[in-house]
Amino acid sequence: MAKNLLIVDDSATIRGMLRRAITIMGLDVGEVYEAANGIEALAQLADHSVAAVITDINMPTMNGIELIKRMKANPHLKHIPLVVATTDGSQQRIDEMRQYGACGYIRKPFQPEQIRDALKPLFGVKDNAGTDDGHLAEGLF
Amino acid sequence: MQVPTTDILQKVFSEVLANLAFMFPDDSKPELNPEHEWLETTIRYEGPHVATLRLWCTRPFSILLALNLLDVDPRSEDSAPKGEDAVKELINVLGGQLVTTLHGTQDVFSLTIPEIRLLPQPPDETVLDGSMVVRLSIENHSLCLAYQSVDR
Repeated sequence: MAKNLLIVDDSATIRGMLRRAITIMGLDVGEVYEAANGIEALAQLADHSVAAVITDINMPTMNGIELIKRMKANPHLKHIPLVVATTDGSQQRIDEMRQYGACGYIRKPFQPEQIRDALKPLFGVKDNAGTDDGHLAEGLF
Repeated sequence: MQVPTTDILQKVFSEVLANLAFMFPDDSKPELNPEHEWLETTIRYEGPHVATLRLWCTRPFSILLALNLLDVDPRSEDSAPKGEDAVKELINVLGGQLVTTLHGTQDVFSLTIPEIRLLPQPPDETVLDGSMVVRLSIENHSLCLAYQSVDR
């Protein structure tokens, strides 16, 4: 069954690049929803069921860390896997995002393969980048 | 901390253009074309060190960048805002890469949201003559990047 995704980034350019990468990577993706900040993301999540969220951190109105906190505090949303796609390379920030509940991290600029590798396990795809032996794919925490 | 130099700026700038947009600087030195509208895009990072990055490019370059990133039709009505958004993302990625190149990954830095303003003419050459300014040329478009540390 096709799985829906939500992309959260204040840059329409990045949303478009992620959408294109997701479209060509061969996973069984249904609808791809978009939001430009955390507030818009929560509104989308209230209206649509998604299998995973890919979110930026540095956004106006509500940033990605606040979005992650809100989702993890919401019993209806806390189970949704979150992958962070950001320019931020600080190890402390990465650790912080993991502690808040993000399951993956992709640093911009990204290649489509990085998006695919981060999402495959979330789609139940097992291959040499998969999780047969409990080893997480590159890009996942 | 690595001391910022124009060589480092140029290397990071070139790598980001290549990795993000598959754009590669050439050796030509085009003039700052006064016939085009120019965009000045600014971002600042703050943490144990503080610095501002400013990027100048022409409107046609911004649309070329959007074309490379998203296959934007340069003749479409929304090519200008898409070009501006693409340039903002370019400086956002550039800022993130420069922070880790200069300051490593141990400290936490915050990047501001990029801001863009239109210039009726090319940037002032006297500003661009500063030691922390690099100029690149891509397909006959001039790009200028200025790094200014505001550490006290």
